[in-house]
Amino acid sequence: MKRRTFVQAGLGLVTMSLMGGTAFSQEKKPISWWYETAAPENQEFLRTLVVAPFNEAHPDEQLTIDFRGSELDKQLRVAMLSGSGPDVVYTAGPSYVASMAQAGQLLPLDEFAASLGWNERILPVFIELGKYNGKLYALPKTYETLGLFFNKTLFDANGWAAPKTIAELETLADAMKAKNIVPFGAGNADWRPANEHYVSLVLNSVAGPDNLYKALKGEIPWTSEPFVAAIDTLNKWWQNGYFGPNYFSLTGEQAFAQVATGQAGMAPTGTWNFTNVPRYFPQNNAEPGFVGFPSAEGVDYPIYALGIGSTFSIAATSKNPEGAAEVIDYVFSDKFYGDMNTVWQGEWNTPLKDLSKVQVGAEVLPLYTETMKGLADAVNANQYGYTTWTFLPPATDTYIVSGIEEIWLGKLTTADFLAKLDETFKQEQSEGKVPAIPERV
Amino acid sequence: MHRLYLVPTLAINFVIILVPALLTIALAFFRWDGISAPVFNGLGNFQALAGDRVFWSALTNNLIWTAIFLVVPIAMGLLAATMLLIAPRGRTFFQVVYFLPVIIATAITARVWQGMIYSPVTGLFGLMQKSGLPVVNPLSLPTTALFGVATVDLWHWWGFLCVIFFAALRQVPQEQIEAARIEGATFWQMMRYVLLPGIRPTITLMMIMTVIWSFLVFDFVYILTQGGPAFSSEVLSTLAYRKAFYDLNVGQAAATALVISLFGLVATYFYIRVQSQEGEQ
Repeated sequence: MKRRTFVQAGLGLVTMSLMGGTAFSQEKKPISWWYETAAPENQEFLRTLVVAPFNEAHPDEQLTIDFRGSELDKQLRVAMLSGSGPDVVYTAGPSYVASMAQAGQLLPLDEFAASLGWNERILPVFIELGKYNGKLYALPKTYETLGLFFNKTLFDANGWAAPKTIAELETLADAMKAKNIVPFGAGNADWRPANEHYVSLVLNSVAGPDNLYKALKGEIPWTSEPFVAAIDTLNKWWQNGYFGPNYFSLTGEQAFAQVATGQAGMAPTGTWNFTNVPRYFPQNNAEPGFVGFPSAEGVDYPIYALGIGSTFSIAATSKNPEGAAEVIDYVFSDKFYGDMNTVWQGEWNTPLKDLSKVQVGAEVLPLYTETMKGLADAVNANQYGYTTWTFLPPATDTYIVSGIEEIWLGKLTTADFLAKLDETFKQEQSEGKVPAIPERV
Repeated sequence: MHRLYLVPTLAINFVIILVPALLTIALAFFRWDGISAPVFNGLGNFQALAGDRVFWSALTNNLIWTAIFLVVPIAMGLLAATMLLIAPRGRTFFQVVYFLPVIIATAITARVWQGMIYSPVTGLFGLMQKSGLPVVNPLSLPTTALFGVATVDLWHWWGFLCVIFFAALRQVPQEQIEAARIEGATFWQMMRYVLLPGIRPTITLMMIMTVIWSFLVFDFVYILTQGGPAFSSEVLSTLAYRKAFYDLNVGQAAATALVISLFGLVATYFYIRVQSQEGEQ
């Protein structure tokens, strides 16, 4: 008797859960999004500022974010090959988009861009950057730029001004060295590709964005004189000890912290380091400064090299592409920009054309909001440069990371480095792996 | 009927080892970015590797690594195991101490050495620098980076060999040891004529496995230096990983993996030969 009751109860429960599941699936259409590694508090921000408000505003949809760790790009590639990836495809950058679009794994977004108003809301250069064979496949989640952080308190105490030319930068660096201050707070112990931040800086600010554009389009070789001058300049800085004695031992965050403590004077790095400003500057009673990186003679100042860390696309196999497009649309709203940048700076600088309507919390560093507004204006006016990790194809990009170390450590000459760079780039260009390069106006 | 018992292991081997292995062999002859359709490339990937100086320096680093691991941890393991055999007091304690690094996750061991020992900011080396000692983080110099990584792996690894050798030494007949003692054999004579011959099969097996493992080394190198600075600690497995997942050149990565497997195959051949010789004896 007892056994029968137990079986009946069990069957009842199974039936109820099946009915519940059917009812649930009829009511809500699932949308999946795989996200990269994120600290617990940042995961919570995504739950409270994306998942919860989106699901509340869209009763027919059920968005879930799955945190897949630091190997997301590899997991995605396998999943996309087998057609079992998420609806919202979060790629590691434009060079991945080209390959995925080429393989037919992504859905063209042109119709969504037209119907949801993305073309009007998003900076045009980023719309162009997400295109492959004339169709839009991706939108950048965030964009970043490179510049010069400095310790304003230290500068004021020494009567130093933020440099605007390469000559001023070198004079300043020598003055810092004379006072036993490391000129560049820099390190790559946790992230070797940090090397390419410096290569990107000299390619834009010494060789100039016009030459860089021509090289990216294949109109001039990478062995051209402006690039020789750029790499030689970077090598000179290394040999002069501007990067300090511990570049290969410090993590990026440790190096940035040294700028706050005054052990280092400047940090030529990206806007993502705004995240570290409140963590280190206030406790050292130091005020941070940020300016565009100094330019060489004949190159405009400032040049903001554009970088994109990751992009949004929709899987070609998605069963709910409309829902996925609504999620992307939500991320590109003024409200989301304001809410997310209030709690998590430097990671969600979505490329909105007009930031004047965005409300960011009062506790956010004014330097950050001013920098981002200035950057948006510069890009809107087509005054921008190119970061290597966004605009170069994969093998050329990874060659830069190791190749520049070989130059610094005397294992390779600038000529040999650029010859190999040119050879690798041409090979990848012939295979169609160079990301879309927007026309330079 | 009893052969049916082989089916589960055969099925697992087929799915997890044979199929990926065959696919890797096939991909070594294709140009493939891991996303779009592969294109047949003949021996192009192998030719590209032969002309790549980084491949040769990675191969050299693997050979240096193998030489280090064939000598240092085996010598340390043998010495410590013999000590444990001869001096029973505190034996269990020392076994635990020696073995402890083996059970700590590789990533944690690597990060501890990187941050708490080698780092000039947060580590022991930083403290020594502040005390005026001229020590430099070995991971930051091209001449010492490989040895810096090998030191971490040695610390993690030698205890395992020690415990294995100690277990083998305990199987050496006690009469032989006693007889040698009565004959007045010194410590080194005991090692040379009694203990080492007694555990020779174990030492041979560990040496062969060391060759195989040395060509598979990846984790410590990847976490500590990612092959740098300037490729100075690059080994074949990190090179294959970089080619597959950063350069999106899966074909060349597969070709590199085949070279790794080649060395593993040679070592496996010797292992099987030794095993069969022992079987005959």
